Formats: sequence, structure tokens, C-alpha cells
Amino acid sequence: MTAKGDVKSAERRLGWLLCAPAVVFMLLVAAYPIAYSVMLSFKRYDLRFPDEQGWVGFENYATVLTNQFWWDAFFVTVFITVVSVAIELVLGMGLAVVMHRTLVGRGLIRTVVLIPYGIVTVVAAFGWFYAWTPGTGWLAGMLPEGSAPLTEHWPALFIIILAEVWKTTPFMALLLLAGLALVPDELHRAAAMDGAGRWKRFVRITLPLMRPAIAVALLFRTLDAFRIYDNIYILTNGAQDTGSVSILTYTNLVSGLNLGIGSTMSVLIFITVAIIAFVFVKLLNTGAPGSGGRR
Amino acid sequence: MTGKRIQWTVLDVVVVAFALIPVLWLTSLSLKDPATIGDGNFLPSSWTFENYVNVFTDGAFLRPLVNSIGIALSATLIAIVLGTFAAYAIARLDFPGRNLMLGAALLVAMFPQVSLVTPLFNIERSLGLFNTWPGLILPYVTFALPLTIYTMSTFFREIPWELEKAAKMDGASSFQAFRKVIVPLATPGVVTAAVLAFIQSWNDFLFAISLTSTERSRTAPAAISFFTGSSQFADPTGSVSAAAVIVTIPIVIFVLIFQRRIVSGLTAGAVKG
Amino acid sequence: MSRLVCGGIAAAGLAGLLTGCGGEGGGVVVNLYNAPQENLGKIVERCNELADGEYRIVLNTLPRDADSQREQLVRRLAAGDEGMDVLGLDVTWTAELASAEWIEPWPDDLRRQAEEGVLEAPLKTATYEGELYAAPYNTNVQLLWYRSDLMPEPAETWRELIDTAERLAAEDRPHYVEVTGAQYEGLVVWFNSMIESAGGSILNEAGDKVELGEPAVTAMEEIRDFSRSAAADPSLSNTQEDQARLAMESGVAFAQVNWPFVYASMVANEPGIAEDFEWAPYPGIDGPGRSPLGGANFGISSYSANKAASFDAALCLRDEESQLMAAVNDGLPPTIESVYDDPQMAEAYPMRDAILAALETAAPRPVTPVYQNVSTVTSALLSPPASIDPEPTAQAMRDQLVQALESRGVLP
Repeated sequence: MTAKGDVKSAERRLGWLLCAPAVVFMLLVAAYPIAYSVMLSFKRYDLRFPDEQGWVGFENYATVLTNQFWWDAFFVTVFITVVSVAIELVLGMGLAVVMHRTLVGRGLIRTVVLIPYGIVTVVAAFGWFYAWTPGTGWLAGMLPEGSAPLTEHWPALFIIILAEVWKTTPFMALLLLAGLALVPDELHRAAAMDGAGRWKRFVRITLPLMRPAIAVALLFRTLDAFRIYDNIYILTNGAQDTGSVSILTYTNLVSGLNLGIGSTMSVLIFITVAIIAFVFVKLLNTGAPGSGGRR
Repeated sequence: MTGKRIQWTVLDVVVVAFALIPVLWLTSLSLKDPATIGDGNFLPSSWTFENYVNVFTDGAFLRPLVNSIGIALSATLIAIVLGTFAAYAIARLDFPGRNLMLGAALLVAMFPQVSLVTPLFNIERSLGLFNTWPGLILPYVTFALPLTIYTMSTFFREIPWELEKAAKMDGASSFQAFRKVIVPLATPGVVTAAVLAFIQSWNDFLFAISLTSTERSRTAPAAISFFTGSSQFADPTGSVSAAAVIVTIPIVIFVLIFQRRIVSGLTAGAVKG
Repeated sequence: MSRLVCGGIAAAGLAGLLTGCGGEGGGVVVNLYNAPQENLGKIVERCNELADGEYRIVLNTLPRDADSQREQLVRRLAAGDEGMDVLGLDVTWTAELASAEWIEPWPDDLRRQAEEGVLEAPLKTATYEGELYAAPYNTNVQLLWYRSDLMPEPAETWRELIDTAERLAAEDRPHYVEVTGAQYEGLVVWFNSMIESAGGSILNEAGDKVELGEPAVTAMEEIRDFSRSAAADPSLSNTQEDQARLAMESGVAFAQVNWPFVYASMVANEPGIAEDFEWAPYPGIDGPGRSPLGGANFGISSYSANKAASFDAALCLRDEESQLMAAVNDGLPPTIESVYDDPQMAEAYPMRDAILAALETAAPRPVTPVYQNVSTVTSALLSPPASIDPEPTAQAMRDQLVQALESRGVLP
């Protein structure tokens, strides 16, 4: 072996050594439970019927995938994900522009915006819950007499989305701000000289250059939004057909003690999320010129 | 020019209102006395600190608050140490399994946490970790790791490591070169990751409620859901909002101290990766 | 670190936390897990004094809502956790925990002590397949609470409540009747009471077959008609016990069906309304209805390492003195009949005769090991109450309950 080879293998060893502790943690706390869930999804495993436990192949998957409750929850989740991420993208972009360009109190704005991001989700959800409860809440008080928005399907969904948007738009804005910072000012100035208006410059110059930033922000938020749990748990706990797939999983797994069905749902959520991630990464790699060459 | 300033001021006000009104509402709710808590006004008609006094005097919140702080700080510290190792390796070293490592981290971050509760509970029971600080620190570290590794590795990649070599050529020892040149460059990335990890651990509700059983290790968000009203069915709206405000204070302090770091860290890290 | 905290708290005199810190003395520790109850600590203290060092009860508090309480207990019992001894159990969990052999049947001599002088209705909730699985602690019945300035004569039926509401609405006065219509156990409680009032039941006596039938359709019609009437609060489908209490205190309602805790609260918060705040038997369909029955009992974990001490502790926690303390301090109706005669009860419980009368006919909820499934399915199908379509809803409920009894299929 050459000296160069020795350096290589030393580097390799160091690399593994440095990663080992983190890997051990993730294996211990995440990999085993994940594997365990996959195994349970092929079993009939209800804690209250210990005598009936056994392998059932894909029966649990058939049960879940042909069940109306699952698909209702699935489409509710998709709806919440798409709508809230779309709103967050638009608002987040606006917020990022303000954070980037404001002439007044930039530090204040950047500080204040981080508060929703940092606040405990459950706590924020309680705030929204009280605000929309007739009698107690100031927001409910502004509605016409006798409305109770959390008790109807669409208003309740709207409030869930509002809570989600409020909490996570700052995160979206921060990721977009990163992209904005990459757009060189000279391009703008040059275009302005050519007579391009503000909106035109935004669409023609800023947006294309921000494409990777937008894709990353969308990816992170979509993965997270699809697993929405805390907000719904506090606001409606799934009533009025507002339950997400995570809520449904919790009901079957933790309340219903049906580990087989519950684990099947976990695996299905996992697969869905993985597909979303895969599609985004593909789009990111093919769609953004220049981003491929960087690495 | 002034026209522009006014324009931005208006926009600023909108943004501040957007971010703060829900927080102010909770604060106002926490300052209402029990008789007016149901009046639906945004501002309290009569102010009282009764709810705050109650939260601390009935003893159900002080210990959880201490637990929360201790557990979140410990988890952050461990995640940062382990994450720095891994992020350095990923950013700087060429070794097979690097992408696998990133993939595995992403995998961990993607799995629905709801489904990890039952198996984790069983493991912790058999290891005697249930209802202990380590019992919560363990999952918090695990779920903070993907985030810290990602943030820091993208950050480290941007550091001009040649500077280290240059410093050494100028006669600095390896350690000096590292301390004087690399550490200052890497600190913002580490701080960002630390703040993100802290916020994530501080926010957790699901594990906190599933892996604890007494005040010994129960954290503040879980403790809030244990508050009692004046009777079995009464919602302790006042105490919940007072506790909610208390739980938010550390976050506000963190944000005030680290605002610049978080913004620059996130903006430097997120996109270039 | 933690010792420091304990010391600091002890110095500050916060007795409630002291128990969690362990420390002084040796002896047997009995871990009590119970729903939040403000003054339970005093009862525990008293029993610890009586035990005189033989054992020491340590109070651990469970979450506020019943579902989370059950989840915590069941998760730990399923794992064979030895850290729990005495368990405060909602009346609907007895069958589930007993059939899974997670709680101990009471041996004959202790059983006799636990049953002595106990009212029949609460006693039944602690019994499963002929064995006593828990010592009755407190019971509960819902009553009709109304404002006599708006409804001079209490309504006997839901129909009369609707009529009164329409009259009041026409006069532009408070016209809501508060009832727990949110998608949770409270909705099951309401429906169960209605179907029992209509002479039917959700499951059969043995709890292994679905009954429903014509009484279910009648009950659903009543619920739907009510929910669409002037009596229904717009928040009906999000109302739980406490929202009902608050709504009535805020003055928008002239009546509510609820547990007796609303009385003390009304007196404390709204003395003005409290002057005309009265109670009557739970409304029915053709005549007086059958009140929903609630309450809690003490069971002993099968994995407890100190069963003898635990049984003893449970007996003390529910004896006459303890029940009186719970009733006077925390408003929990006793299960031992003689406690109602105590002079202290007269002040805290002016409605005690109504409670005793309601207990005679109160409607217990179905007894089955899979009660959780039954409850989840039932509340999901009845929510929101205004959109019930009696015949098809009853049919769908039958289909899903059959599956739920076997714990097959997906829970909504």
C-alpha cells in the first residue's frame, strides 16, 4: 500500500469514528422502534386479545387501505398540507422580503418573527383554541352571534391551518431569506436600468435564482406538515372530520391498543413521506440549473 | 425617502402584529381573574397575578420547569457534541457511508413520532430509564441529531479550511490554528444548531407525556396538561395560560440573545446544502 | 440538582411536591395513581397517619382528561410495570382492566369491607363477572340544572326543554340548553342515557352483542331534533362539561345537564344567577329520564409488589371519612350511603337527595373489555349531533360496533 492509501484509510477510520456516536444513538432510539413497527404491521397484535396474536401477512394493509376512515384522514391531511404550505410559501416570501429589505427596525423584525417559531406548539394551540371558543375568545367574539367555528368542518379546518401557518411561516421565511441573500444586487440594478418594474424583476430575476431555496423550504415544511399532530390534538382532537393520519394512528395505536393496525398506519405514513421527499429531491436536482454543479 | 420609510414601517407593523397578537392574547388571558376569564375581551378588564401565583404555589409547576430546563439543556449539549463530530466528518472527510449517514439521519427525521412511543416505552421500561431524565434526553438527542448534523455540516462546508494551513505556515501550532482560526468561524453554525436543538427539545409534548409518570422527570408542556381546575371537569384556563406564558419566556430570551446568530446560521446553512 | 430542588421546595412549604422527593423513613411505599383532584393530598396524608409507618402512600397525578389517564395506565400495565399499586379507575375501565388481568379481584374478607354500606349503582360499576375489582370511591350523576327565573317549572322531557327554548327565543331571552355534544365520551354518555330512557341499550347485559334497535332510532331522533332546535347552543358539537358550565355562567343558557360540580362554581362565580339556579331530575323522552352514571373506584395493580398494603391503603382512601372529605372539599358525591347524612353535607350538597334519587335509576354505560372501541365508534358516528340521520346512522353504528367488539378494523 502506498502512503496515499494509508492517509485514505486513516481518513476513513476517523470519519467512521466521528460518526459512530451519533449513529449509535439513532440506531438505539429510532432504528429498533422503526423495525419493530414494520414487524408489527404484519401481525394481528391487539393488547386486549393476547391469545389471538399471530402473523397475518398483508391483511392489516388491506384493512387500512380499504377503510373509509383512513382515506378521509388521508385526504384531510393532504388538504391541510397543500393549503398550509402554499399559504406559508406566499406569506413566508413576503416576510423574507420584509426581513431582507426593510429600512426600519430590521433587528426588531427579525427578532419578533422568531417568536412563533420558538413557541411551544401545544401552548400556541391552546391560545388559538381559547381565542375561537365562543364566550372566552376574542376572535370568536368578532364573529356573528351564535357562531362556533371549531364545531364545523370547514371553519375548524381553516383554524387548524391558521394555527399551523402562524407557527411555521417564520421558519419558511428564514429558509427563503437565505435564498434572497444569494440574489446579487447588481442584477437588480442592471434590470432596473433596462426599465424592468419591481414585480417583473421579482418574477424574472429573484424567483429563478431562489429556486433551490424554495425547493428546500417546501420539502422541509411538506414533510413536517404531513405529520401534523399537536395542533389538531388540541383544537379538535379529530372531531368534525378534521383528523389527520397521525391522529388516526394515535387513536388506533395508543388508545385502541391495536398495535398491528396502528403500526400499519405508521408504515404507510412513512412511505408517503418518503415518496414526497424522493419527488422533491428529484425535482430539486433536475430543476435547478447550477445547483447540480456545486457539489 | 420618507415615503419609503412610512411604507416599510406599515409593513413592519403588520409583521409584528402577525407574530405577537396570539402571544399577547395568551398573556392577557393569563392576567384575567377567574370571574372574567369567559368575557371574551382581548384585554383583561381587571388585572390579577393570581394565576401566576397559583401555578407556583400549588407545587405542580416548579419542578417540571426545572426538569424542562435541565433536560433540554442536557439534550442540546449532547446533540451538539455528537453532531459536531459527525458534521465535521461529513463536511471534511472523504469516507464511504457518508451519504448513507445523511440518508439515515433524514430517515429518522421522517418517521412519524407517534409510532415510536410504544416501542420506546418498552425499551425504557426494561432499561430502567422510564420516568428519568436520561429517558427523555435519549429521544431528544436522537431527534435533534438529524437537524444539528444537517445545519452544521452545511455550515462547516463553507468554512475556508485553507486558512488553518496558512496559519500553521505562519508558525501557529495545530491547536492554536484551530482555536484562533477555525473556532471563531465555526461558532455561529454551532450556536444555530444548539438553539434549534434546544427549541425542539423544549417543545416536545408527545414523548414528555408518554415517557414520564411523576414530577421526577415530567417536563413543563406535559405538566400543563395535568393542571386541575377547581373541580374534576373545570378547565383551568387561567393556570394553563399563565404556565404557557412562563414556558414561552425562555424562548423569547433565547431569541433576543441569539437572533443574529439564528438568522445568519439558518440562512447560511439551509440553502447552500 | 434534584435534591437541591427538593430542599428548596420543602423550605418553601409546598407539601404537595414533598411526596415526589422520597427520602424520610423506610417502610413500604404504596404508589397511588389518580386523576387530578385538588385536595386528594389531604386524604392521602390522613391515611398515612393512620397507617402509622406500616406503609406510606405516595400520590401520583394522572392527566386531566380521562382518555390520557387511561392511556398512561394501560401502557404501563401492558408492560408489567411494578411501580404502580393503587389505581384510580374511571367506572368504564373496570371490564377492560379486569379481563386483561391487570387488576386484582378483591379477596372475600376485603371485599366485604369495600362493599359495606355502598350504594348499589356505584358498586355495580366496580364489579365484573361476579368479582369485585375495585373499591367504590365516588359516584356521579348528571342532573338538570335550570334557572327558575326563565323556566319556573323544570322540564321533565327533552321535548319540553325544546318548547321552553322556543318560547324564550321568541321573547329574546337566554334560550340555550347546554349538553355535552362534542365528539368524546360525553356524547356517548348523552346517547347512552337517551337510549336507556327509551327502554333500550347499546350492548346486551353480557356486553358481547350489539342491541340498539328501535330505541336507538328514537334516541337519535330526540338528539337530532334537540340539536336542530332553538335550545341547541351553536357550540353544541364542541361542548364538553366545562364549556357547558361556562356557557350557563355567562348567561346565554337557561338550563344545562351536567354533574353537580357546576353548583359550587355558579355560587362562587355568578352569585346573581345562582339565586335562581336550581336542579331537577335528568330529562327523559316520555317522562323523567335515566341519569348518566359516572364516578371512580380504586383498583389494585396485578403487578404491585405490595398488594397487602395496597388493599389496606385503598380501603382507607375510600372510607367514610375520606369520602366526606372528597365530597366537601372537591365536590365528589360519596358511594357510601351513610355519608350523605353527615351534617357537613347539607351545606356542600344541598342537592344530595336529588343525587340519591337519580342513582336509583341511573343508566350505567356498556360493560365490555373493549369499551374504548365502543365509545370511539359511537361518538364518531353521532358527531355532529345535528347531522344524525337516525335509521342509517343506527345501521352504520351496528355494523361498526360489531367490528369494534372484536377489535377488528380501523377506529375512527
